[in-house]
Amino acid sequence: MRILIAEDDALSRTLLERTLQRAGYEVVATANGSEALQELAKQDAPRLALLDWVMPQKDGLAVCRDVRQWKDQPYTYLILLSSRESKQDIVFGLESGADDYLTKPFDVDELKARLRTGERILELEDRLVEARESMRFQATHDLLTSLWDRGVIMELVTREVMRTRREGSCTAVMMCDIDHFKKVNDQYGHGVGDEVLREVARRLQLSVRSYDMVGRYGGEEFLVALNHCDAGSAVSRAENLRGVIGGRPIQVGSQKLTVTISIGLALSTEFGDSSVDEIMHEADMALYAAKAGGVIACGWPRRGAGKRLSKSKPRNHPCSRNNAGH
Amino acid sequence: MDKNGLKGTIEMAPVAEKAQTYDWNMKELMERLGGDQEFLRELLVIFQQTAPENLLKSREALASGDFPGLTHAAHTLKGMLKNLAMGAAGQTAAALEAASREKSMEESKQQLEQLSGELQGLFLAVEARLAEVKS
Repeated sequence: MRILIAEDDALSRTLLERTLQRAGYEVVATANGSEALQELAKQDAPRLALLDWVMPQKDGLAVCRDVRQWKDQPYTYLILLSSRESKQDIVFGLESGADDYLTKPFDVDELKARLRTGERILELEDRLVEARESMRFQATHDLLTSLWDRGVIMELVTREVMRTRREGSCTAVMMCDIDHFKKVNDQYGHGVGDEVLREVARRLQLSVRSYDMVGRYGGEEFLVALNHCDAGSAVSRAENLRGVIGGRPIQVGSQKLTVTISIGLALSTEFGDSSVDEIMHEADMALYAAKAGGVIACGWPRRGAGKRLSKSKPRNHPCSRNNAGH
Repeated sequence: MDKNGLKGTIEMAPVAEKAQTYDWNMKELMERLGGDQEFLRELLVIFQQTAPENLLKSREALASGDFPGLTHAAHTLKGMLKNLAMGAAGQTAAALEAASREKSMEESKQQLEQLSGELQGLFLAVEARLAEVKS
């Protein structure tokens, strides 16, 4: 385990460093509080720290106080080292944010025992954080595909549409559905069906930019939201997604299955101040229209006027109002 | 400053008669170092390099009435002396630190004189010990 020491006196620092190395620790040695803070602020900073109380620039108490202000860093277990032994000093030291207090000159066995206590606390903290993150993931992600679940993707899309409206740009909302998925389940069983869902989800996720969003809307339906995407590029991206899914078979065990998806597309700019629910409804209607031919369709401002587009790349801006009557 | 740090800006009381006496618990120190003679040598070299410097800083700080500077130098000396199990000198350094915190010129001067004497004995003892370790 890595441990940081902050001690301005070279002799005490060397003694501490060597003692800790003998005990199996990897030591990061610093000579004052400012250096210690710099080290502790790093991404892979030591999680255990032994800080001398009296140091130039920043003393151990100031380091404790600063570290405890950091909210995004993993917990650091801080031990103050001092020759001050009064109860008042110990209380003052602990109240500055230190976890433990050790008087100098330190007893080697006592030092090791206190460090083991620190390690136990850190392990416990890690397990708690891991459990919390796992619960957070489970509460926001679809368990089968690990994509955002329906509630979260809807919330994210709502937020994104509001944001792009403020900025005067466009969000493309795509409702994607695996064609004839029931047949996959019926013919190969639900286990294979689940594998297909996982692989489609994986390919969709890998095909969008890091700031786009993919979620499982339900069953074999997926919701994709692309930011800053005009009409022309939205259709082109939808074509690309269809190619990514249908262009290459999915390997499930020894079998290779080819599935295709249909996509209903709606652009936030086409619906004025309509709610996200209405935009979603249009994308859904467009999906129904697309399903008829297994292609891509756009949702239009006129309710229920989902329009199928040919599989080949459309001319001009197929999703623009000018093409609404086609 | 000579290697024993005896030259300062303040006239100190003669310490020659105390030069051969020192309190150094070698048994306790070697237990702390796990019997590692090489490590002992390393620490004593650091002591030789840094203790005279801090003694000089203490003298200069006292001469200029810089009590925070004196407190810090005395604190550093106290730390290294206690770490090396040099008990009596460590206690004196602690008393000097306390006196300087109180901004007591007379008490600080008295404690610094005593500490200089104790360090004189310890510097000689450290030198002898280093010669022993090397041989």
